[in-house]
Parts: sequence; C-alpha cells; structure tokens
Amino acid sequence: MTTWRRHPVLAETRVLIGAGILLSIVAVAALAPIIAPHDPNHQDLLRMLVPPFWKDGADADFPLGTDGLGRCVLSRLIYGARVAVIVGTVVPIGTALLGGIIALVAGYCGGWVDWSVSRTVDIWMSFPPVVLSLVLMVGLSPGLRNVILATILVDWTRFCRITRGAILGLMKLDYVSSARIAGATHVQVMLKDLLPGIFPIIITLFSVEIGIAVIVESVLSFVGVSVEPHIPTWGVMIADGLVTVFAEPWGLVLPMMAIILTVLGANMLGDGLRLSLDPRLASRPSLEV
Amino acid sequence: MSSLVQRSQVTADQVIATETQPLLAAVNLTVESGGTKVLRDISFTLPHGRILGLIGESGAGKSMIGRVIANQLPRGFAVTAGSLPFEGRDLLALPHHEHRELLGRRIAFVPQEPTGALNPAKTIGQHFAEHLKRLDVPKAERRNVALAALADMLMPAPADVYDKYPFQLSGGMCQRVLIALAFVSKPDLVIADEPTASLDVTTQVHIIGLLRRLQDKYRTGVLFITHQLRLAAHLCDEVAVLYAGDIVEYGPAGPLFRRPRHPYSRALDTANPRFSGAWQPLSSPPGHMPGLNEFRNLPGCRFAPRCASAIDACVAEPPALRVVADGTVMRCIRDDAVPAAESVAGVLQPVGANAQSIGLMQVQNVSMTFHSGGLFKPKAETHAVKEISFSISAGEFVGVVGESGSGKSTLGRMIMGLERPTAGQISLDGVPIGHTAAEWRRRIGIVQLVFQDPRSALNPRRDVLNLVTQPLQSTGHLSRREMRDRAEVLLQDTGLPKDVVSRLPHQMSGGQRQRINIARALCAAPRLLIADEIASGLDVSVQAQILNLLLRLKREHDIALLMISHDLAVVRYLCSRVLVMCQGEVVESGDTETIFANPQHPYTRELIAAVPPEDLTRNWTQLGAVG
Repeated sequence: MTTWRRHPVLAETRVLIGAGILLSIVAVAALAPIIAPHDPNHQDLLRMLVPPFWKDGADADFPLGTDGLGRCVLSRLIYGARVAVIVGTVVPIGTALLGGIIALVAGYCGGWVDWSVSRTVDIWMSFPPVVLSLVLMVGLSPGLRNVILATILVDWTRFCRITRGAILGLMKLDYVSSARIAGATHVQVMLKDLLPGIFPIIITLFSVEIGIAVIVESVLSFVGVSVEPHIPTWGVMIADGLVTVFAEPWGLVLPMMAIILTVLGANMLGDGLRLSLDPRLASRPSLEV
Repeated sequence: MSSLVQRSQVTADQVIATETQPLLAAVNLTVESGGTKVLRDISFTLPHGRILGLIGESGAGKSMIGRVIANQLPRGFAVTAGSLPFEGRDLLALPHHEHRELLGRRIAFVPQEPTGALNPAKTIGQHFAEHLKRLDVPKAERRNVALAALADMLMPAPADVYDKYPFQLSGGMCQRVLIALAFVSKPDLVIADEPTASLDVTTQVHIIGLLRRLQDKYRTGVLFITHQLRLAAHLCDEVAVLYAGDIVEYGPAGPLFRRPRHPYSRALDTANPRFSGAWQPLSSPPGHMPGLNEFRNLPGCRFAPRCASAIDACVAEPPALRVVADGTVMRCIRDDAVPAAESVAGVLQPVGANAQSIGLMQVQNVSMTFHSGGLFKPKAETHAVKEISFSISAGEFVGVVGESGSGKSTLGRMIMGLERPTAGQISLDGVPIGHTAAEWRRRIGIVQLVFQDPRSALNPRRDVLNLVTQPLQSTGHLSRREMRDRAEVLLQDTGLPKDVVSRLPHQMSGGQRQRINIARALCAAPRLLIADEIASGLDVSVQAQILNLLLRLKREHDIALLMISHDLAVVRYLCSRVLVMCQGEVVESGDTETIFANPQHPYTRELIAAVPPEDLTRNWTQLGAVG
C-alpha cells in the first residue's frame, strides 16, 4: 500500500470513490460560470431538442443537446449542481444539529424528557414527508433558504430517532456511569463520552441525508415549489424533460443520472467513513482461540 | 520395583493410547492459521463412558478442539496434521455428509451460553420436535420422548417446561434443557464447552451433577471443557491441561490435581484461592497467555517466558511429551520446574477492622423498590434490596456474596449514588449523604466504584492516559505533562508498564483492561472502593494478580473495599467480614472465617456446599443430582 493511504480513512476504497464523486460535483458547481459553455437560461428557439453528441443530428455547440426551449442541457446540469451542493451541505448540517442535540438531551435525560421528544417525533413522522414539505413550501415563499428550512424541519426526526436509539444503547454501558463517578458534569459526559460514541452513526446519517436533501429538493423543484424559477435545478430539468420525453429522452435521463450519482457518492463516502472511523472495526483484534 | 522398570519402558504415546479402539482420540492434531500453529501436536484418548477434561484459560485453544470435532473451524484456520479417530473412523477424513450425520446423533454438544443457544421464538417442545424429527422419531412419540428426556434432567414439571419459551426459563433451566436435548439421541460422545460458566454457583453444582448422572446412566463419553481445575478434578477421569495450543500435562484427574508437575499446572493451582486450610498469599506468574500473533516468537515451550526454571533448551524447540508418573505425561524438559511468580510483598492476610477506627461508611435500613407497569399494565413492586444496615471502617475489606438477582449490585450502586435508595440512609464519615450536586462531589471524592466488565466501563475511544486521568479532567486544568506524571504513578501502582499510556482499551488484554479500570478509580484517591465482581470475568492467573493488587493497595493506601462477588473463595481470600445476601436481604453477616466455617443460615450452607471442595474423596458431584 502506498504511503498516503496508510491512514485508515484513506485506506478505505469506498471513501476515496465517494469523496471523489462529491468533490467533483462541488468543483463543477463552484466553477460553473467558467466551464459552462452557455448561459443556462439562454433560449435558442431555432435549435430545440438537439440530441446529445453520440447521436445523429448532434450539434457541436451543445455537447449534451438542448431541451424543449433550446437551452443547453450541459450548462443547465452544471448550474443545477450549485443548488444541489448548497442543499446537500446545509441540510445535513442542519438536521444533524437539530436532531442530534435533541436526541442527545432526550437520550441522556430519559424520563419525561425522552418520552415527550419521542412522542413528538412519532407524530412528526406520521406526516408523509413530501406532503409536509409541500405544505411548508406553500406557506413559506419560494427561495433557496426556505427550501433548506423546509427540508430540515421535515427530516430532523430521522436523525433524532436513530441517534436517540444509539445513545440509549451507549447509556447501558458502564463507561457513562464511570465518567459520572470520575466527576464529569452532564455536559462533559454528553460531549466527551456520548458524542464520540455516536459519531459513526452521525457520519452515516449525514451522508444519507446528503442524498435525501438532493432528492427532496428535486421533488420540490419538480412540482415547482422550490427555488425561484430562473435558477436551474435538476428537478426542474426532470420536469421539463418529462414534457418532451418522447421526442428526446436524454433531457430527462441526464438530470436523473446526476441525482443518482450524487446519492451514490454520498452513500459510499458515509459507508466507508463509518467503517474506518470505528476503532473497534478498524483494527480487528486477533481471533479468540 | 518391577513397576518402576516397566514405567521407564512405556512411551508417552503408549500412555495416551490406552485402548486399541477408544471412543475418540486425537493423534498429533495440529491446527494452523496463517502459518502459525494454533494447536500443536494435540494427542488425547477418550475411552467409552469416561470424562476427559480439557483445562486452560482463555486463549489456551480448548474450544478450538471442540470446533475441530464439529468441523466448524473459523475462516483461515485449517487442520494441517494429525487425525481424529471416532471409533476408529477419522473424523477429518470422513466425507462431509457422513460427518454431519454423526453430529447431533452420536456426537452432541452442550454450549456455553444456554440462553443464547435456544431460539427465543420457539418453545422448548418445538426445539425437541425439530431435533427428534431429524433423529427419525415418529411424530406420535416425540412428545413422550421429550418429556422423558426432561424428566431425566430431574425437571420438576416437564410438561410445563415443554410449553415454555426460553426467555420464560432461568439460565440454569435452559442449560438443563440443552443437556436433555444433547442426551436425547443417546449419543456416544458429548462435548460440553464450559456449560456452567454463565451460571450461578449453586446452579453449577446441580448442572454438573445432572451431567454426571446422565453420563453414568448412558455410559456416554464426555469431553468437558473448563477453566476450573478443581471442578474438573471432581468430575473428570482424565484431564489435559492446555496452554497456548499445547497440551502441557495429561493424566488421571486426581493425581494431577493433587500433584501438578508442569509449571503451568502448578501456576493454575497456586493462583486459585482456596476455600479451606490456612490463608496463604496467591502466587501467579506475571504476564498473560500469549495471543495468536505472539506465537511465532515462541518456537519452543510457549510457557517459557513465564517460567522460573526455563533454560535455553526450553525456548529452542517445543518440548516433547514425556512420561512422569503412572499414566501422566508432561510437555516439560525439566523436573520440578516452577512458574515465575509476581512478588507478593505487601500482600497480607486481611484482618478485621481496628475497634477504635471510626466508621467510614454506614448504611442504615436502606431499601430499594423498583416500580414497574404503568398505563396499560398492572403496577408491580420488586424489592431489590430490603432494609440493609452495615458499616465499613477505614481500610476494611468487606465482602458481599450472593447469587445473581440477590440485590448485591444494586447495593453497590446505591452506595456509589448511581441509584437512589427508596428508603434508609447512607452516611460517609458519619455525615448523611444525599443527592445534591455538592453532596455528589463529596461522595465521589470518598467512594469509587469499579465496574465488572472493563470492556463496557472503558470508553473504547479514550486512550489509557485519558482514561486513568479521567477524574482530573473534569475539575482541574492540568497540563498534559502533569496528567502524564499522574498516569505513570497510577500505572505503577496497578502494575502496568509505562508504555501502555497511548494504547486504546481493545489493544490490551483482559487483565490489563481491568487494571486500567482500577487505576482510574484510584486516580480520585478514594477511601472506599466498591468492586462489583471485578475478578469474575478474568482467568485464574490474572484474577490472582488483581486480588493481590487489591491487598497491596490496602496496605499502601489504607483503602477500604466492598467486594461484591459470587465467588466465596475470592471473598475468603480478600475480606475479613462478609455479608450473605439472598433476595435483597442480608441473611447472615460477620467474620468471614467464622461464617464460612460455621454457617447458620441454610442459604449460606447451600452456597458453601456449591464450592468444589479441595478434598476429592468427598463426592461433590453427587450433591447436584438431587432436585
């Protein structure tokens, strides 16, 4: 193994592939004005539904073709990555903070605190997430900030429920009591003993949440209640592509592939990190004879 | 004289191969993993209807032998030499399906963890039905066969047990069911892998008695795997002592127990606290059994690093088995070799508290009642601890004995302040202590609790330096340098090398982890240590090291100890005073020697009777077979 892969995190191939995919998407989003061949909203009504380069009738100006309004698909994909990257970063952080802190307090305090948090989560989760986010978006005005807010408010429960379960598991271990006996305050126990213990789960959930955030945003875009209409997103592209799917299917397939790639990258990164960050999984002790 | 001459002509192979066609034999069995010999040259003979004990601490390879017989070696392990004839047919050469046919019919297993071995979703009856179907017992007869098998195990109400689910039965009952299942096919060979390791002592004696009874009734050969030398001496005809994949001594149980010759067998003997006779310090070789990854550095005798009599020849190549007495063979080139011993300086017999010394801790009429049920269930009360009063003086070692569920751990947790007593009062230094933040600080400055299982009590993400100085981190603003100094003192106090400071818990052995666990409790300089079964999960030689450590700490730091344990011999070794707990109540308390010599309460007598006696002539295994 080469030197730079000595670190257990880098030794995990899934981490490298997943991080590679996600970093490429981030780079594409950041460099969008430079690398996009066209303005994503520029309509060329003379060249509508141009097929991508590998098909007959392709146009060298539009490598991945144009949509029903003659907009460059490649440029729209590149600009669409910007919304995906912002949503896929801020939403997981938000859900992790909101859900994680509530779970930590509920799991550690137990009793009525835990009971009321759990019941709130139960009720919250009984609303279909898509319907809940649609209702929230109708109430709030369109815009990136509100999309993020709506997604966090819908999805913090997933984080909360799973981390609470993990904390209850840790609370059964004697090292939490040991830390108390050693004089640690409640906050110290939560931060130094409980939080590191649920870190692998937070990482996994965080990466799952990246994918979910991107998908939820796409769903909202698809039905037209996400960001302002002039901002291209993958969900809007799918909606547009659906209209012309029989004339030119690639307008639909390409943004879907972009979403799939993002979710795949996020899941691989999360899986790999979880495996390599757990000290008990990372270096397996010798087998008992 | 003639016997002496004869003996010198007998080879080790002849001693082992006592019969021309024994039930089971191992002939030069070798198991390797990644080029390392995990089992080296294992040979033994189990005649029909006899019990062979395989004795050793964890890592000795005793369970691996059971796995070879069951054809269930873990991945990466393979038998590379030797044979395993079962009634003359080599199990290793047998086609897979023929081998499988033998298992469960003619070879049966009794597992270590009874509750985990039964499917929680099936009743006991369904377990039997499934097994009997495989044995081609007609459907109509299955129930009766099962009930007869359960009755054979002296179950009070076989028909009731038949319809129950495993979780409705106690661990001991589950183990009886498993033994009944193992014997229902009237097998020729039963392999029992530590069948009583997870059971209470009084249950252990019953299970051993029942196993013996069935073995006797059906003339079954039993391979009994255990870490308890004295238990094996009572139950087994022959024993093989294993160390790091070698059989180091092999012979008839009684003589081997009375006069162990191999230094490791001797170490097992001297490290085991005695339950009768005069008190004497335990001696145990330093260090621990080597792990698989250390085997390659030990080409010769694997015990040599812990042996006081080791010479250059010992480490050069593996010693051959040689005959040392009638029927006894040993893998040691020296006569009367002795194990290395940790210094027992500072280890003194516990004596009662000085009459003038003031009470460090008093417990007055403390009770603990758990309430269960609620909205949809009827309310129920469980009295975990009922009106207990006692006190501990400075520097006094007090033992609490009782079976699981007797409330002894709850008592310890209440004194530590982890549970609030529902009634009664606990005082430290004569001042009652409650549950405010200030009182909590006072309490943890005086009392510390050492948890039973260091794997659970040590945060796997903290390194040793971080763990042992945990009590300093919450209050002081110590520099890393100061923490390091304190850690080094603590490690030295608990007999650990300095270089472990940067290790994580899973990178250490069980004994080292328990020392870290104790070192952390000592960091706060407590005057009372509550030790909840801290020696019970450990191997006997490591246990001896920990017990001696506690006695040394008492002498050096004048620490008082509340030792919660189910092991009477451990309590006898450590404590001058003992409380016997049964179902939340103290049924008897007083001077350890007096109580153990002359128990008054029937429960205490039952506990004492469950300890395998030194005297092998007392028919201890018969005791259990009664109900």
